[in-house]
Amino acid sequence: MKRRDSIKTMFLGSIGASLTLNSCITTEDKVMLDQVWKYNYGRTYEELKWDYKVLTSKFFSDSELKTIEKIANIILPPNEKGNIKDAGVVELFEIIAKDFSTPAHDEYGEKVLRRGLNVFDKICNERFGVNLIDCSDDQIKSVFDSIAFNDNKDEGLQEAIRLFAVYRGMVLTGYFTSEVGINDLGYKGNTPNVWDGVPDDVLKDYSVSYDEEWISRCVDQSKRNDLAEWDDDGNLLT
Amino acid sequence: MEIIKSKEEYDVIVVGSGAGGGMATKTLSDAGIKVALVESGPYFDPADPETQTQLKWPWESPRRGAGTNRAFGDFHMSYGDWSLDGEPYSSVEGTDFKWWRSRMLGGRTNHWGRISLRFGPKDFKSKDYDGLGENWPISYEDIKPYYDKLDKLVGVYGTKENMFNEPDGFFLPPPKPRLHELFYIKGARKSNVKVMPSRLSILTKRINNERGICFYCGHCDRSCSVYGDFSSSSCLVIPSLKGGKVDLYVNSMVNEVITDKNGRATGVSFINKENGKDYKLKGKIVVLAASACATARILLNSKSKAHPNGLGNSSNLIGKYLHDTTGAGRGVFIPELMNRKIYNEDGVGGMHVYSPWWLDNKKLDFPRGYHIEIGGGMPMPQYGIGWNPNDFNKFFGLRTGGYGDSLRDDVKKYYGSTIYLMGRGEAIPLKENYCEIDPNSKDKYGVPVLKFRYKWTDNEYKQAKHMHDTFEEIAYNLGGIPLGNKPTKKDNYGISVPGEIIHEVGTTRMGNDPNKSVVNKYERLHDVDNVYVVDAAPFVSQADKNPTWTIMALSMRTSEHIISEFKKQNI
Ligand SMILES: Cc1cc2nc3c(=O)[nH]c(=O)nc-3n(C[C@H](O)[C@H](O)[C@H](O)COP(=O)(O)OP(=O)(O)OC[C@H]3O[C@@H](n4cnc5c(N)ncnc54)[C@H](O)[C@@H]3O)c2cc1C
Ligand code: SF4
Repeated sequence: MKRRDSIKTMFLGSIGASLTLNSCITTEDKVMLDQVWKYNYGRTYEELKWDYKVLTSKFFSDSELKTIEKIANIILPPNEKGNIKDAGVVELFEIIAKDFSTPAHDEYGEKVLRRGLNVFDKICNERFGVNLIDCSDDQIKSVFDSIAFNDNKDEGLQEAIRLFAVYRGMVLTGYFTSEVGINDLGYKGNTPNVWDGVPDDVLKDYSVSYDEEWISRCVDQSKRNDLAEWDDDGNLLT
Repeated sequence: MEIIKSKEEYDVIVVGSGAGGGMATKTLSDAGIKVALVESGPYFDPADPETQTQLKWPWESPRRGAGTNRAFGDFHMSYGDWSLDGEPYSSVEGTDFKWWRSRMLGGRTNHWGRISLRFGPKDFKSKDYDGLGENWPISYEDIKPYYDKLDKLVGVYGTKENMFNEPDGFFLPPPKPRLHELFYIKGARKSNVKVMPSRLSILTKRINNERGICFYCGHCDRSCSVYGDFSSSSCLVIPSLKGGKVDLYVNSMVNEVITDKNGRATGVSFINKENGKDYKLKGKIVVLAASACATARILLNSKSKAHPNGLGNSSNLIGKYLHDTTGAGRGVFIPELMNRKIYNEDGVGGMHVYSPWWLDNKKLDFPRGYHIEIGGGMPMPQYGIGWNPNDFNKFFGLRTGGYGDSLRDDVKKYYGSTIYLMGRGEAIPLKENYCEIDPNSKDKYGVPVLKFRYKWTDNEYKQAKHMHDTFEEIAYNLGGIPLGNKPTKKDNYGISVPGEIIHEVGTTRMGNDPNKSVVNKYERLHDVDNVYVVDAAPFVSQADKNPTWTIMALSMRTSEHIISEFKKQNI
């Protein structure tokens, strides 16, 4: 349709205009611009505008991002299957911080993600006199040992424990929704195929099985392309 | 204010292109009737790669599919959800109603669950059984021929079961159960709960040469680019556009049905969302299908001398008897399903097995039944995966939380070990549950908006309690552990907020008595002989089934009635 065709041009047009107003296009702008188009996942015009806003503003400072990277690497250490860098986990923190920074999400970036950094830094300072980024891995792990487990009932650490759970959730979700993470998990699918039941070797491992009566009525995949025809009683003939 | 009027007079103007409107457009235009289809959202074709989300991976979205813009996630094919910018609604204090609106060609049928159930003989006459609510003025026999035609036209898989209130149809063969569904079958049978193949409008087999066959990507909620599942856009509207009898108006919000001084409809007025201008279309007949509450809103906003409190509202019943399906659900962890061998288990975009209502309410303390839907398996990861990576450790006396390499293994260990049981039940329609025009609020187009008032009663709470008792029994019988705490009276037995199950119906109920109903048995307004309603508004009661197959069968029946009126030259 005409309108859809015009969307892309309209959108580029408006960016173009604001960039000309800025008089010079920095390389950074160009990178950002490319970023919006890196994602091609069927957006409406309003959604594109929101993505552009999210992708072209900056929430965390570079040193905060480095801290997040450090935390993420300890929560999920790299191995031969994948690492948080290839999974884009730090970028996801930056994006979600802005994306969820609406009243509906209770200012997730400010109140949760940045708050987490502040609280973790505070603990590191109390214990080691420096921010998390300047701690050794062992020092950081000793902090995590007291805030990463749900069975620690220490009153003074409850906020840190809650915030750590969010960090852990973000790191793992970021990892397992990335290409490397999905390969690591081993998920198979999201591709054209023909489902013909649970593989025999898998069925054997469990306390359940197919009963003949049930599957005799299921689709015969060798006839999926034959045009369906019925008799007057609704019995399938083909 | 400039108002642009069409010169041409259409035979029929259809408002809304979802399940009801798509079916009316197709049936009417196939018979040679000239139709204007007016849709408030943009053009949408599931096959268009520009808008497609099917087969996308989570990392193709910058937020990994999180639900910031679309409530059910970035890849869910709905333009609109519980809230729309600049189009508010509200609820009377102390009550709550959630209104899902999807504005696009095909409406909610682009992402619906495809559960396609016929209502049974009892469902049309439930008052005869328990004295509650009202009977429909039609019976199963009246609608059966249309269900039959619908099955063949659209395609639905299922099996013949010869159950009185779950009528069989012309079914395509169902897919084989997945592993977690075999566990469900085991648990349900042990609990004496009937279980059978589900009935979904997904093509497991070819029905014509225009549509492709399901290739099992598991994501009908994203809309199928080969038209393997039913959407009104791909299967009804787009094919009818090819016939040359339909003019499609998109991004066009209808605000009123226009009437002459005698109170008969002469057309509709709408606002073009792109240029903000007002338009008027002329038509001999107006067919409303904007969805139950949106249709009620249009009628209530169509005030004139002849219809001072809204078009067709002499009974004062428009908006009343609004009701939604009840819902409650529980997750179940199945230890036997830990550390699964991984294979492609996507299957169709919905369940392969389910449980229809299996008990007799005469022996229970609540009047109406429910069915059980099942979810689970090894689906594509989405935003949220791994959030509580080892929460289930608690069932083995192990620590939860932590950090480090072991978390990787935890996520893998528990992936695919949970199933979800969801009860979907019938509520009793009540006059006290309604939507009405809010005199104090307008949308960004200047049109008055809706206010809701909806409360469940003991009939529904007791039903939700029964659902939870059943879930626990099935959970243990399939070797699982029910998750979280069982909701109690204090938390209303975990019942859904009205509207949340998105089966809202009943706002222009059907009946023979013009004082007690809004439309007649052909879904025509009692008060106006050329306005029809073909969405779920005319439903007298929403059975323990999902509504859409019945919306479409009724729309087809009404359309054939309109065609016969044209032929008899009554119009
Ligand atoms: C996530 C989800 C899952 C579901 N699963 C199932 C299921 O498995 N089985 C089942 O039976 N049902 C299911 N449903 C419900 C089903 O989608 C609806 O019952 C059905 O789509 C209703 O059809 P309709 O024609 O009344 O309205 P809709 O499909 O909502 O279509 C209404 C159309 O009218 C347009 N419109 C609205 N207002 C105006 C206006 N003022 N002017 C012009 N156009 C207007 C809208 O843009 C829309 O396109 C589900 C719904 C959702 C959201
Ligand atoms: S599951 Fe089948 S019908 Fe549904 S979207 Fe995927 S391929 Fe299409």
